[in-house]
Amino acid sequence: MALLEATGVTVRFGGLTALDDAGISVEAGQVTGMIGPNGAGKTTFFNVMTGLQDTTAGRVFLDGRDITRLSVHRRARRGIARTFQRIEVFGQLSVLDNVLVAAEMRRRWDRSGPPPHEEARACLERVGIAEIADLSVAALPTGSARLVELARTLATRPRVLLLDEPSSGLNGRETQAMADLLRDLTEDGLAVLLVEHDMSFVMGLCHRINVLSFGEMIASGTPTEVRSDPSVQSAYLGSDHGAVQ
Amino acid sequence: MKLSPANYAAIALTVAGAIVMSALNWSGRPVSVATVGSMLVVGVTLGSIYAVSASGLVVVYTTTGVFNFAQGAMGMYWAFVYWELRFNRNWPAPIAIGLVVLVMAPLGGVVLDRLVMRRLRGTPLVLQLMVTVGLMLGFMGLAATQWKGDRGRNAQPFFGRSGGFELLGVNVTWHRFTTICVAVLLAVLLRLLLHRSRIGVAMRAVVDSRSLTSLTGANPEIISGLAWALGSSLAAVAGILIAPESGLVVELLTLVVVDAFAAAAVGRLQSLPLTFLGAMVLGIGQQFMRSFLDFPGGFSNADRALPTILLFVVVLALPQAKLHVRGTASAASARIRRVTPLSDAALGGLALIVVVVSWSGGLVPFVDEWTGTGVNRGVTMMITAIIMLSLVPLTGWAGQVNFAPLAFAGFGAVMFLKVAGDSGQAWGLLMAALLTAPVGALMALPAVRLQGLYLALASMAFARGFELLFFTQSSVIDSGAGERIASLHFAGWQLDGRGRGYLIFLTVVFAAGVVGLIALKRSRYGRRWMAIHDSEAAAATLGISLVETKVIVFGISAAIAGFGGALFGIQQATLNPSQFTLLLGLPIVLLLVVGGVAYPAAALFGGVNTILFIVIKERLGWSWLSALEILGPGLMAVAMVVNTRGAVTDMGRAFSPLLPWRQDAREQLRLGHASSREDEIGELGLDRPFTRDHVNDLDKHLGIVDLIPATPSAESRGGL
Repeated sequence: MALLEATGVTVRFGGLTALDDAGISVEAGQVTGMIGPNGAGKTTFFNVMTGLQDTTAGRVFLDGRDITRLSVHRRARRGIARTFQRIEVFGQLSVLDNVLVAAEMRRRWDRSGPPPHEEARACLERVGIAEIADLSVAALPTGSARLVELARTLATRPRVLLLDEPSSGLNGRETQAMADLLRDLTEDGLAVLLVEHDMSFVMGLCHRINVLSFGEMIASGTPTEVRSDPSVQSAYLGSDHGAVQ
Repeated sequence: MKLSPANYAAIALTVAGAIVMSALNWSGRPVSVATVGSMLVVGVTLGSIYAVSASGLVVVYTTTGVFNFAQGAMGMYWAFVYWELRFNRNWPAPIAIGLVVLVMAPLGGVVLDRLVMRRLRGTPLVLQLMVTVGLMLGFMGLAATQWKGDRGRNAQPFFGRSGGFELLGVNVTWHRFTTICVAVLLAVLLRLLLHRSRIGVAMRAVVDSRSLTSLTGANPEIISGLAWALGSSLAAVAGILIAPESGLVVELLTLVVVDAFAAAAVGRLQSLPLTFLGAMVLGIGQQFMRSFLDFPGGFSNADRALPTILLFVVVLALPQAKLHVRGTASAASARIRRVTPLSDAALGGLALIVVVVSWSGGLVPFVDEWTGTGVNRGVTMMITAIIMLSLVPLTGWAGQVNFAPLAFAGFGAVMFLKVAGDSGQAWGLLMAALLTAPVGALMALPAVRLQGLYLALASMAFARGFELLFFTQSSVIDSGAGERIASLHFAGWQLDGRGRGYLIFLTVVFAAGVVGLIALKRSRYGRRWMAIHDSEAAAATLGISLVETKVIVFGISAAIAGFGGALFGIQQATLNPSQFTLLLGLPIVLLLVVGGVAYPAAALFGGVNTILFIVIKERLGWSWLSALEILGPGLMAVAMVVNTRGAVTDMGRAFSPLLPWRQDAREQLRLGHASSREDEIGELGLDRPFTRDHVNDLDKHLGIVDLIPATPSAESRGGL
């Protein structure tokens, strides 16, 4: 059984259908990718799974349990964590405090492990930004801020990690490090679902890929299957963007 | 418009509440065509005035995105100008009206737009709120200075008090007839302007996207100027129409704005037709209450409180704000984030205590002539500062706007009176704080659903509701009974509410409060508050419950304010409802924000300024300073458009490098100098060699200094 599963998710904003009967299943220990042209509804889908967006129809399950009606913070307490496409760090706080907030909160529902300060430091080290712990987070370049967001989610000890364009703003070396880190995390049993535009990153990292186009999930499979799927090619090549990036 | 189940529930509840209220307070006056008719005439007239005022709010808000808290004050000011021309200088009415409504008010609006409002674009909402509230106080102060309250003024209705025509046996005066006609005419004109004319469409477009609108050839600058001109004119029309009905009183006319808020909130600050509907419901509802209902003593203000109640209900019935995912703006340069250590706070507190002890003891030479009243001033200053402290965690850290600190303070004072008023026992202070906390938590309930502007409006309604319906109850404050609050009994001392001992006690309390708040800021609670301030969405996805977090911070804030209120009660010895009004609370909020709302030190700055204005006014005695205590805070708040950081930030930046242990401040100062050399970098390497030092400077400037290992040359440079 999939760890995180969504079925028949439909979201309408007035007359606009952002998601139409879309579904996905995310397995523990795997990196699942979600790709699609701009405006396909990827971020809306993330918002549905984390509870930031109400659905017109559809269900979300975690571990087979229906969490569709749970509020954002309750889902987080059950192990769903995410990062944001446009970075949402706590600008008044230092890098360490950003992670500390999460580590302290997590002890509410899970008191195991080291004290929050140590845990926060460990998370910073894990994503490789321990040396900027005392900097004000508002002033960081995008790449570092993304890593802060990632470290912050790790401090909640998630079971599912939803990453919205984790490699954007990162340079080549950092992207590679990010891929290595995500592989590490899945080996620990974490489920990762990511939205990404960097195709080589997605194809090289993901076990399975789902393709979203105009709110519909048009394909799902291994990277090789998806790459050769004609509907995927038309979704990308049919648009004005030209080729797969 | 589609209504949600919550909307229907709110409407049903409101209607049910109205029926129950009417049944309970029915006066038994006869219901006939004549009485209902005259109620409708007056009600529709009132509604028309609210509608005109509210439509000015809506036009400015939809066009510029700025919600003008000063709308009522502007109307009040133009009404006074009209009175001056028409009745004091006896100009003919058409000329006076034409000059005020068509020339002076629009010009004033354009000037405001150019000098103030334009600079508000893209600034944080808190700043926008404070600046327009500051403007409101500014206009009030200006009017109170120009037209002193020492003589009665009367604005005659148009076409005299008598006269008019009969309609179904009801006399409609020409003034009321004119008012209704003006409102209808303006409604039609505004509708045509905004939906049929090119400029109107551009006005509505500009708020959605300035840059896109300018691409179509429209000039957003001209459009926002036009909107302010129009808004100011509409305010003037409303002011001139209502002055004969309500009297030329600064506060009264200014508070028409709360009525307008309620009407505009019905239209969700956007829809003019719904705004007009809201205004009519309000006007007729108020007049219905005056005509057919009688309220017992403490509720005699119920008719005036109706807009407040409506505002509160409407704001609560609005659809729940979605958690915004907005992205974090990045700052200019990287810096080490320094959280004030407790030792610094304690040191500052000790310094303050030393200063106050020596000052109040007459040790500082040039101020000893103030002792006596001077000490009482000091007491007022410290109490104000303590009440201001309540907003530091709430508004400064958690980002929750609250215009009702004085309502909480008043509640605390009442609680102290009830619990320990006779004995003056110090534990009563703690009880007052504890009992006020749940009231704060109550205020947090709207805060859970509302953000930003709507929360500000809700808190204003809350403060006004307390003023009109709670403090007026004889079971709460019995002004007639002469209940006195005893002087404070603390650890064997008896501290008179105006004496030096009390002042020193307050100073110690304030210093302890600052240290306690800094400790809170450094705790997980403080971090959580700042987290929900910066991104509610991200905070929630980390498992933070917004409800719980907001309830806690509102509760703590209310407790501090309640504590301060109890201290105020001891100073005053007797309480009366006029001590805790909405308007008196506004300077407290403004001065704190001027100081820098995120810093406890700003509370001291605010407290000092509060009494400074009074002292300046009294010592100089110049007549144009006669309203300085409202004009001053108002103008200071408006001036924040130029310096948004808050005064204590600048003071801190200037003085902290002088402290021997603040190496980091000196480093920051040096970095600041480095980044001010930005221009020079442009041609570096072309006309001069590009050295390792330049690389280091650049790195520092770009904020990657801590990401790279320090080079030997950077280390060898050392400190300054």
